[in-house]
Order: sequence, then C-alpha cells, then structure tokens
Amino acid sequence: MKQAKRLIKAPVFALMILSSTACVTSTVQDARTGLTGINEGESVVIMAKSYHLGNETEMKYIRCIEDNLARGSKGLRVIPHDEFIDSLFPWFEPRTAPAETKNLAKLMDRPGVADKIAEQGIRYIIWLDGDTDRVAGGGSLSCAAGPGGGGCFGFAWWQNDADYDASVWDLEGLESAGTVSADVSGTSFMPALVIPLPFIARTQSKACKTLADQLHSFIVQDESV
Amino acid sequence: MSIGLRMPENFENFVHEEKVYGREEWSINLGRSNAAFFEQLFGHMFADVTVLGPNDDPQLLPLDALIEPSIDAFEFSTPDQSKTDAFAVWIRYRLRVYDREGKLVSNWPVSAYGKSLTTKMNSSDALERAAILAMRDAAALMIMKFDNVTRISALADQPGTESEPADASQTDEEEDTEVQTTALEGSQDEAG
Repeated sequence: MKQAKRLIKAPVFALMILSSTACVTSTVQDARTGLTGINEGESVVIMAKSYHLGNETEMKYIRCIEDNLARGSKGLRVIPHDEFIDSLFPWFEPRTAPAETKNLAKLMDRPGVADKIAEQGIRYIIWLDGDTDRVAGGGSLSCAAGPGGGGCFGFAWWQNDADYDASVWDLEGLESAGTVSADVSGTSFMPALVIPLPFIARTQSKACKTLADQLHSFIVQDESV
Repeated sequence: MSIGLRMPENFENFVHEEKVYGREEWSINLGRSNAAFFEQLFGHMFADVTVLGPNDDPQLLPLDALIEPSIDAFEFSTPDQSKTDAFAVWIRYRLRVYDREGKLVSNWPVSAYGKSLTTKMNSSDALERAAILAMRDAAALMIMKFDNVTRISALADQPGTESEPADASQTDEEEDTEVQTTALEGSQDEAG
C-alpha cells in the first residue's frame, strides 16, 4: 500500500516541478552616467513614469521591485511609493511629477519639498517605465464534462514579453546616475490529455528579480554581482 | 483670506449611472467624497473656510470670496471599450468664484484624468481607484493654478471690483513649464 502511494506521489511531484517551469530568456543592461553609492540611513523610492505619458507599469511590478530591493541583509532602505507621493502631494502626481532631471532643482526649491525628501533620507528616485504584454499565442485546447467524468484535450501556448527600463535619479547631485533595463521573454505551454499540464513561464517575476538585482548592484556599485 | 464654499446638492451623494451600449450597466457611487474633497482641499489652501448651507446668504457673512464648485461632466471607459487592461475616469469640474458683492469674477473648468489597471482588483475597485486618481489630479491642478487662474487673492480685504469675470475656459489646457505638465492623455481623448 505504501509503495502504491509512493508510485502515485512521484509523478504528481514531477508534474508539479515541470508545471512551474517553462522557457524564459532574459537580457539585462545598464548604462551608467554618474557615480553611485548609498550611505547608511539613505533610502530609495520606486516610482512609475506617468500614465499621462502613456506608461502602463503595473502596480504589482513596482511592489515586487520594492520588495526585492529591500530583501536580505544587504537590502536597501525602500520608501513605499504611495507614502512618498502622499508626503509630497501635489508634486509627484502623474500630472506634476518631474519628467527630466533638469526640473529637479526648481522642484527642490518649492516650499517643503527638500525638507520632506531629507526627512525620509531619499537619495535615489528610480523611475520605472514599461510593462508585460502577451505578444503571441496559439494552439487549441478544449474541455468537456459528462456524467462519466470530464477531461481536456489539445495544446495551447502563449508568449509574454516583459520590457522594463529604470532611470536612476541621484537627489544628491540632482542628476541622472544612469539607466538599467531588463527584457524578458517567456513562452508558456499547456498540453492536455485528459488533464491539462501547465508549463508557465514566470516572465514578469523573472523581469522583476533580474531588474531588482541589477539595480541593487548599480546603486551600491558592487561589481561582483 | 476668508472663503465661503457652497456646494451643489449632488456633492453630498454623487451617483453616476451609465449603460455601456450593448454591455453592462454601471453605477458609480462617490457618496459625499466630492464634498469632503473640496472641504479638505480649500481648508488647506485658505486660512478660513466657511461651508455654506443651501439657505445661507453669503453677503451676510464676512467673506472675501465665495467659491462654487460643480461637476460639468463625468465619464469613464472600461477595459472592453479601450481594449486595454485599464479603467479610465475623466471628471470636468467647474469652479465659479464670486466677490463679496456676489459678482462672478472667475469661471474655471478643470479637467482631470485618472487611470487604474485591473490587475488583481475587481472591476469595481479599479474603477473606484481611477476616480480617486482623477480627483487627486484635479486637486493637484487646483493647488498649483488656482490663484493664477482665478486671481482670488486680489479679492482679499477689498471692496467688490468692476472688472470682467476671468474667462478661464482654456487655462487648464495651457502648458505650465514650471510644473512640467505633460500632454494629457485624458485631454486628447476628450478632444477625440
């Protein structure tokens, strides 16, 4: 009996492992325009470029980058973007947020802005631009159920591309420190022979982890990463 | 500066109902959020704000100016309509400013836009978030431009002026280089 249970468990476990993986390719690049570094007590804030400019960066992606940058013993101090925007209302609303670093000096001269930024120890603002889109898909999969049971048959696939750019603004020098970009492409499959077996490509998660790791090393200038 | 604020009745319980052609019927209940929004906004912008009831006569009160906000238009788009993952909300407020004599000195339409992606939210939450973002957009614009557009500060401690009302109908579309106002997606859509 025990052996029978093991025989059932083994393929289920294998299916779970297989189902969690699919084909993902990623490219990450950075272009540095200034020296970076971060001191104790200094923090970063992750912002999405304005939707008034057509940007559609997902809220969950911003939170993912925040979480990944803050994670671990070497994690950065990250100010939640909602908290930052509220504390500086109305200067970082989609309509009013600075679009270029040359506007930073004037913004910092506004009453209370420099004080609020200093209060939170914000050294870098990281502006995210980009999103995850389904770019292709195909196949056919159909399911049916009857009194004797049900099942699915067919094969479906789809490809998601996650392209994100991060512009790093250094509030110490009021200038751009550079950009980091991550392009990730993932193809998911779902063959079905009675039971559908999803092989899901975690495209956005991969883009998040890749970009956050590169941003971390970009900011702390850790060449070993 | 002492300001009177007179809100329309529908600000206490604002409900926008719309049937999207061939699809669902939507009812957006903003409750008294518009009333709270203007009370809070002007409370921050002016030293003394008195909220007037429907039967209050502003000329019997020691006010420098009276502000009457209203909503000219409320529109939204669903992901089905826009073929995106986002809900978008456009609100066009109108702010009428009167001097202490009761003369209209400014009539300013404020167009605001908010957009929220549907991911991990149900439709209702995403639409509500888009409406809140549109109200924040309006607030940001009013904070930055209210005095430039309406010239309300000139009414402080002054007798009523003989000047013509400031026609501010185009001012919210003007580019403000100081605050890097960008080309507004909402404005483009409205024009279309």
